[in-house]
Amino acid sequence: MTALAAPALAPGALDAGEPTAGHQGLLRSLWRSPNGRAGLVLVGVVVAAAIAAAFGGTPYNPLAQNPAALLAAPSWSHPFGTDQFGRDIMSLSLDGIGVSLEIACLAVLIAGVIGTIAGVIAGFLGRWTSAVIMRVTDMLFAIPAILLALIVVAALGAGWLNSAIAIGVGYIPIFVRVVRGPVLTLRESGYVMAGRVLGFSRRRLLFRHILPNVAGILAVQVSLALAWSILAEASLSFLGLGPPPPTASLGEMINQSASSGLAGIDWWTLAFPSVAIVIAVIGFNLLGDGLRDAIDPRTRKR
Amino acid sequence: MLLTLFGVSVIVFLVLRLLPGNALTSSLGVSAGLLSHAQIVALDHYYGIGDPVVQQYFSWLHAILTGNLGVSLESRTSVASLVGAAMPVTFELAVVAMLLGLLIGVLFGVFGALRPGRAVDVSGQSLSVIGLGVPSFIIGTGIVTLSAAVFHYFPSSEPFATLTSNPWLNSQQIFFPALTLCLGIGAAIMRTARASVLEVTGQNYVRTARGKGLSRHSVTWKHIFLNAFIPVLTMSGIQLGYLLGGTVIVEQIFVLPGLGRLLVESINNRDFPVVQSVTMIFATGFVVVNMVVDVLYAVIDPRIRNRST
Repeated sequence: MTALAAPALAPGALDAGEPTAGHQGLLRSLWRSPNGRAGLVLVGVVVAAAIAAAFGGTPYNPLAQNPAALLAAPSWSHPFGTDQFGRDIMSLSLDGIGVSLEIACLAVLIAGVIGTIAGVIAGFLGRWTSAVIMRVTDMLFAIPAILLALIVVAALGAGWLNSAIAIGVGYIPIFVRVVRGPVLTLRESGYVMAGRVLGFSRRRLLFRHILPNVAGILAVQVSLALAWSILAEASLSFLGLGPPPPTASLGEMINQSASSGLAGIDWWTLAFPSVAIVIAVIGFNLLGDGLRDAIDPRTRKR
Repeated sequence: MLLTLFGVSVIVFLVLRLLPGNALTSSLGVSAGLLSHAQIVALDHYYGIGDPVVQQYFSWLHAILTGNLGVSLESRTSVASLVGAAMPVTFELAVVAMLLGLLIGVLFGVFGALRPGRAVDVSGQSLSVIGLGVPSFIIGTGIVTLSAAVFHYFPSSEPFATLTSNPWLNSQQIFFPALTLCLGIGAAIMRTARASVLEVTGQNYVRTARGKGLSRHSVTWKHIFLNAFIPVLTMSGIQLGYLLGGTVIVEQIFVLPGLGRLLVESINNRDFPVVQSVTMIFATGFVVVNMVVDVLYAVIDPRIRNRST
């Protein structure tokens, strides 16, 4: 009987893309979990800092050198102190966070788009394509991500865009794996089968039934990927392979402070850039955890 | 596994060879412009730069498979000798860091999960937030700075001592970098161990084991721990990738003459034969360890052992 009644359903009635109560309450349940709340607050701070820096809202020009205030300790006029060129560390840190976030977003965009497409293809299409994609993913996965980023930067040369590409490439295999699993399961799920029986096109099944259900997992992964990318960007610039000066860079600031031996006496040259990185990385990590708790009711109980 | 390594070698080769800047100009620098055309052709031929890419790849593959890693463009010594000197350092660092990470992760994870919300659990959880959120180069720089500025203690300032030549100095030089590295992997292992133990604790067979009056010790270690260990093992295998990547940074901070430092130096010098070899060694190590992890599954879990035979 139900099979006969099915074609009478309004088109789209079986589509999974409609927002449900669970979707509307996402932000609320994110706010309710301690991880999610801390993550939202920290990420909010980081994004605000980046926006402020992008619109020139830093207290000083980050690159302006002030010979009158070399290595000044934190004070009202320079809350984070100044570095060995007399540059204001607060302005440099804000600017550096902005640059980090830009590179991280671009890297995650690259990894997310390529990884998701490859993961969906590997999960949704035939056995052969899937096998090839997963093999290549295994190969990329066998090179530690930060190492892959290093050799890509070595080959492309240091720079803003090249850092983003290098970091993105390193994260592609994770997106492929994270997306492919659920797509495989969803392909065999009841409602996708039903859609197939109803003669929905592959495209419709993919975009209206499968992808919306992967969106949650993807959101978690994007947040974790941002955390990793910020960390990777800082590591690259710490090793001197980030965007070349005069671009402000937190990793570079830490390297300067540590290698010149300033860190031991003029502690603020090391402390504040480090804190900026840590806030960003922990923020996105916690946000990812919070999202996972909010989306997956199984982990929420714990 | 061989297919994966073959693929890795192709990726490494392509990334480093096909992109701009060739080995010749990078090794000779400005003086490359002073060469006559005939000299360039001769040198191209010597380095094999003029050959078709596929041929270059296979001659490189043949060479590394026969143990000839090539000649460093920078130091003009064999890559094999450079790598041979650096490998034990990184190996020691990685092993010590992995053991410390497993120790911290398993202890806090297991004991935290057995009494959720109590002191051990809370301190473990906070430690894991720090371990995951604070990059190793910040922890490392912090340790170096503090130990030098406050305690006037800098074991890294002395030339590196091998384990055989000066075990005491060697252990001091290895301990702090290993500590730096182990926090990140320890945190990841701890989270996996905690989640896994919590899951296993809720299983019926654990209730049964308790119900039939087994000692708490026996339930914890034979029923819970062994069953919860497989995800921990998987996570440790994955973490090795982060660990190997981390050695690159940590060796830089603590001035350890290992593979990571060699890699960064050769990247800065555009010394591609060394970069290629070191990357291949890291990838091989990662793949081999993960294969060992697969074998260990069967050792730990009789269900997997019996399924495969």
